[in-house]
Amino acid sequence: MPIYLYIDRGTFVHRLHPTVKVFSLFVMFWSVYWVDNPIALLVPIGLIMLWIAQLTDSWPNFYRLRWLFVILIFTTTLMWMVFYQRGTPIFTLTLFHFGAHTVAIKVTRLSIKFGLGRGIKLAELLAASVLFLSTTKIEEFTYGLQRMRVPYRVSFAISLSFRLVPLFIDSAVTIVDAQRLRGYDFNQGGPLERVRRYVPVVIPVFMGALRKANNMAMALEARGFGFSHEPTTFIEYPVTVADVIAFAFLIGLGTLYFMLYWTGLGGIGPLK
Amino acid sequence: MSVQGVTFTYHGADRPALRGVSFAQNAGEMIGVMGASGAGKSTLAKCLNRIVPEFEDGDFHGAIRIAGESLEVLRVCDVAPKVGMVFQDFESQLFSTNVAHEVAFAMEQVGMDRAEMDRRILPALEAVGLRGFEHRDPMSLSGGEKQRLAIASVLALRPSVIVLDEPTTDLDPEGRAEVFELIKRLRGQGLSLIVIEHESEELRAADRIVVLREGEIAADGPPSEVFARTELLTACGVRPPGLGHALELLGIEAQPKSVDQAQDEIVRAYPRLARTAGGKVADSQPQPPSSRGQPFIGIENVSYSYAGGPRVLDSIDLKVEAGEFLAIVGQNGSGKTTLAKHIVGLLQPATGRVTIDGKDRAQMRPAETAREVAYVFQNPDHQIFAATVEEEVAFGPRNFGLPDDEIRRRCDEALEAVGLQNERQSDPFLLSKGERQRLAVASVLVLRPRMLILDEPTTGLDHREQLRMMALVRDLNRSGIAIVIITHTPWLVAEYARRVVLMRKGAKIFDGGVREFFMQDELLRSSSFRAPEITELSRRFGTLALTTDEFVAWVKGRA
Repeated sequence: MPIYLYIDRGTFVHRLHPTVKVFSLFVMFWSVYWVDNPIALLVPIGLIMLWIAQLTDSWPNFYRLRWLFVILIFTTTLMWMVFYQRGTPIFTLTLFHFGAHTVAIKVTRLSIKFGLGRGIKLAELLAASVLFLSTTKIEEFTYGLQRMRVPYRVSFAISLSFRLVPLFIDSAVTIVDAQRLRGYDFNQGGPLERVRRYVPVVIPVFMGALRKANNMAMALEARGFGFSHEPTTFIEYPVTVADVIAFAFLIGLGTLYFMLYWTGLGGIGPLK
Repeated sequence: MSVQGVTFTYHGADRPALRGVSFAQNAGEMIGVMGASGAGKSTLAKCLNRIVPEFEDGDFHGAIRIAGESLEVLRVCDVAPKVGMVFQDFESQLFSTNVAHEVAFAMEQVGMDRAEMDRRILPALEAVGLRGFEHRDPMSLSGGEKQRLAIASVLALRPSVIVLDEPTTDLDPEGRAEVFELIKRLRGQGLSLIVIEHESEELRAADRIVVLREGEIAADGPPSEVFARTELLTACGVRPPGLGHALELLGIEAQPKSVDQAQDEIVRAYPRLARTAGGKVADSQPQPPSSRGQPFIGIENVSYSYAGGPRVLDSIDLKVEAGEFLAIVGQNGSGKTTLAKHIVGLLQPATGRVTIDGKDRAQMRPAETAREVAYVFQNPDHQIFAATVEEEVAFGPRNFGLPDDEIRRRCDEALEAVGLQNERQSDPFLLSKGERQRLAVASVLVLRPRMLILDEPTTGLDHREQLRMMALVRDLNRSGIAIVIITHTPWLVAEYARRVVLMRKGAKIFDGGVREFFMQDELLRSSSFRAPEITELSRRFGTLALTTDEFVAWVKGRA
């Protein structure tokens, strides 16, 4: 099983300067943050993400995470549809009476719109991260962060953690198998009990993580990590015309979304 | 390099891990360091690049010098350009997404300019035989390739000494061979090497062997001298080289470096054997896999592939009888573990079926399977979580809701079987690796399964612990439990198993008796599996011995 999301292709997105890539992640988060309207979330930024996914061949990663996307969109939309109680109801569902009070759920046009918007928003935040990791190597990530004035040790630690998560997931899967073979049933009891039942997995994963982290720290220092505060970089990242265009485009995109928010166009419409 | 009077006590330990260790290494020398687990080998290695005492808390005395320069005031990262270090856990020492960059990593850290890095990368990859791999993702490499890459990354800094701390423990035979071949080449190029290793056969080419016992140097000398002291080696938990040991038992004073040499020595001492030397082994009666009646485990035409990947199991048929002792061998990725996971129900076959005692396993609940067949994972730390040894063992029977007195009885029985009865209240995390491995066995044995599958049960154990583990497995087998071991270790197969299944690319390519297996030269070669040297030697005389004792008895019988 491949443990990275990085997909090695030679597209112009892959070739962008690491700083531009890190910046693009920031702009995507920024843009999605300002608007709630499903249409504004889909056009243009949703379409841009689809185009990049197609261009960079990132679909296998989206396929791997398909259930996460489905669950995210579905539960978020449903939850907000229920809890967002503004606007004229399309229908009302009475749950129970409590003395003189009636507890009911109103589903309104606005709540549907808002719920859908929230679902898309979260899916897009995830999609932006997947696209970033599909097209950015760990080294580029470190380099990009460094250029944005994040100290080397911090940026290296952040990028390394991306590498470690899949390793821990791998060992967690083995541990779950090992405990199942000793007759352990993870699916007993209520929700709280189920969480508690993961103790026989969490402890070995944690102990393994500590051991691995210790081994890694020793191996890092043994390779000279810490020798210099400003390590050199082997790979050259020249700034190209494509980087300048992409950068200008990202500024434009970020500004557009801020304007959508500013003018109210990115909202879900007047409250009625 | 000179090491003078190095003593180190870990924080909170009651005795030093190293005590007054002194030795010197001339430039271009290769020193092999051996000893039981806990003898201080890794601590010594870590002292050489200042991980001890910089990283590990404790009390350090003594001096280490490289080319006259003391390491005393240096940090670990400052020593990196002088002493290169390669660790056992190869996954934890690769940090990049491409091979060339991995080699550059250490050079970047010391602030080398790009042009110089460029000049050094290809020669380093060339030296370890990974030229052409520059753009590969290190995670996509085999174990042996990963370890060679780690060595290349160290080589690129051009250190004065390279220390390799059990570099092949986690590798399959092919990976081991690759790494030792490389070590031999590096030595030929005049590099100073310090190699920590369990297998004495691999260190015969060293200039010197240093044996550690309880933190002190028990022997230091050329291999021919040190390996001749079999009693001392055994007392230090080191497996003496099989050939030398055999010659010693035959009363021949020599430390052969190869099977050829051992053959010559024997012929010289026992001229009557000259006639049989070079003879062909008479084909022993092949033992077909027994198939009386209904097998305990039946695997019928099982195929499997992981999502989107190629087939990892390809139409496998296999029967295992109750009480058998079977070894499954084959290179990494040949499908051994996947096959075992089908037996215990962790994986469901895409086609075909698995039966346990005649019942279709697919119809059995996991808990039901667990009582019939138990699986001991390669790494015992993948299951240990409880606060005491006893609780750990009791975990399984508790899951089955057994009454308390029954659980207690079974725990006693299981702990007794694995020799941990005096550790009931100990913290499992503080046990040695060998003890943790035996605890893992106890914690499935307590379910009283009829079959035990052990995945690499001796990996990372020293010779003494290996023997202890295997004695336990043999006893369990004698008590009627069927044993399946997945292993890369030839002598384990020769000395313990009665039947061998060889896997290659998801297919079963051999299934038969152990003696028959070791006569399949072509199959063995193409699977990078070598017979133990003693078996090879015996075949030179037209017989096939699986153990040293068997061979010695044969020779004495003919002489």
